[in-house]
Amino acid sequence: MNERASRTPKVTPANLTLKHPELGTGPVPARPYWDPAWYARELDAIFKRAWLCVGRVEQARSPGDFFLKKLPTFDLSVLVARGKDGELRAFHNVCKHRGNHVELRAAGHCVGFTCPFHGWTYGLDGKLAAVPDEKGFHELDKKKLGLTRLPLDVWEGFIFINLNPEPHQTLKEFLGEHGADLEGYAFHLGTAIFEYEGVINTNWKCLVDSFCETYHVPVLHRHSIKDTLAGPENPHGRLIDIRLKGPHRTQSVWGNMNYVPNPVQGLAFQYAPGPSVTSGVVDERSVLPKGLNQTRAPNWSIDVTAFFPNWIIVMGSGMYFTHQMWPLAANKVVWQMRGYLRPATNAAQRFGQENSMVELRDAVLEDCNTLERIQASLDQGLINEFIYHDHELALRHQYYVVKQWVEDYERSTRK
Amino acid sequence: MTVSKNTPLLPSAFNALSDLVAGWALTDSTARLEKRLTTPAEEIKAFYDRMLPRAPEALAFLAERRLGALTREEEALLKLMLSLAEMGPAIEWYGTGTYPDAFDARRFPLVVTLPDNQAQGVAA
Repeated sequence: MNERASRTPKVTPANLTLKHPELGTGPVPARPYWDPAWYARELDAIFKRAWLCVGRVEQARSPGDFFLKKLPTFDLSVLVARGKDGELRAFHNVCKHRGNHVELRAAGHCVGFTCPFHGWTYGLDGKLAAVPDEKGFHELDKKKLGLTRLPLDVWEGFIFINLNPEPHQTLKEFLGEHGADLEGYAFHLGTAIFEYEGVINTNWKCLVDSFCETYHVPVLHRHSIKDTLAGPENPHGRLIDIRLKGPHRTQSVWGNMNYVPNPVQGLAFQYAPGPSVTSGVVDERSVLPKGLNQTRAPNWSIDVTAFFPNWIIVMGSGMYFTHQMWPLAANKVVWQMRGYLRPATNAAQRFGQENSMVELRDAVLEDCNTLERIQASLDQGLINEFIYHDHELALRHQYYVVKQWVEDYERSTRK
Repeated sequence: MTVSKNTPLLPSAFNALSDLVAGWALTDSTARLEKRLTTPAEEIKAFYDRMLPRAPEALAFLAERRLGALTREEEALLKLMLSLAEMGPAIEWYGTGTYPDAFDARRFPLVVTLPDNQAQGVAA
């Protein structure tokens, strides 16, 4: 092999799906992407049983710190608080008296929670501490009237809850090999946080899939990120690698190392407080955990890890962001995109951050009209099956995992 | 607040850009997006063409200054640069503020914003 050829990054062949014979190679039924009856089964089998990410430990760093997380799928408000003992706890934000929310502020610091309806007061540990005019009640066992707790556990600073009071797996078991392989990533350094939120008329799984293949990049993103995540050596947006571990999946995304940034973009890369996601720059100082760019490809840009069911982390070497999908119906989803930038240490870096936010928003919104058109086609019964490219393996995997969770759960509850 | 014609709007080295302050030094990220969506392409291009040649110098100037400790004039310069950060992709990717088949970005607003000019804490 001559020197020139050895320097040319290889493009991964279309042989990824065959490594997972259990997933087959044929078309995938489209019904789960539009059918309201199937959606109801997903809620019971998946969203009420899987561990769901609700925030980061930095949001409740000290005893008395709390924050609320809305779960739009169930119209639930979850209250996460750090107790005087330093322990993080999650509760349904619901007063045991008449059901009002006990805390209305999005976040804050307090010594306890007082329901704004009649003034019932709960400690940071959820115990019912005080009831105004307690003698006026006929039978009141305050010990039994604490806020309802939800199982809570933490992975790499991310707080997860489970809506099942007795989860069938621990968080560690649930995140499995994928969680273990990402441990050590500098998640805690991304303290400059921004978040976008909106409702998209698409099935939640289609929105997940939107970030799990790059076959569409050279076409749909032809105005924006085509030349960073694809390029002359990889014209069709082949991935470096796809790793399926349990219900979770990761794509290692190819990066064009010869990409020349646009003028403003180039200045933003120069003044970003950490490598920008679209820059393709690898922060040499950062030590990547085993699970990130696991094949150690030299032309790597980002990894996209989709933790089942509804939480995706997009990780570069020095900046990451997350997507979270909260379905409202079979064809409607709340989408939350949260960026975690390194903090700006001077005023010029604020410019780099702003451009990162804007480019990220612009690029991801390019997918949305397409998603809504696909959903219209699905809802009109015009698509019966999906045909997947080899490098759309993650989409095939999601279909099978969802089906498996629904069927396994229904089998386990059948008497 | 009335600003007299003689009050400098920008640090003196950047006086030549002063006429841009009224239209392009905006409240926050959301206001900058709105400006992009409601400004004709040729006006965005004119702003971009005025700002870009001065941008390296402006960034070198701002790199010496701390967020949260900027004078009013320095903050105005930062805000012009933040507008350039928003208008950059408009010109460099799309050639316009919005484009055919663009999804309405107002449907995906910022719900947690980074303040323009506030010191950012480092991780504990």
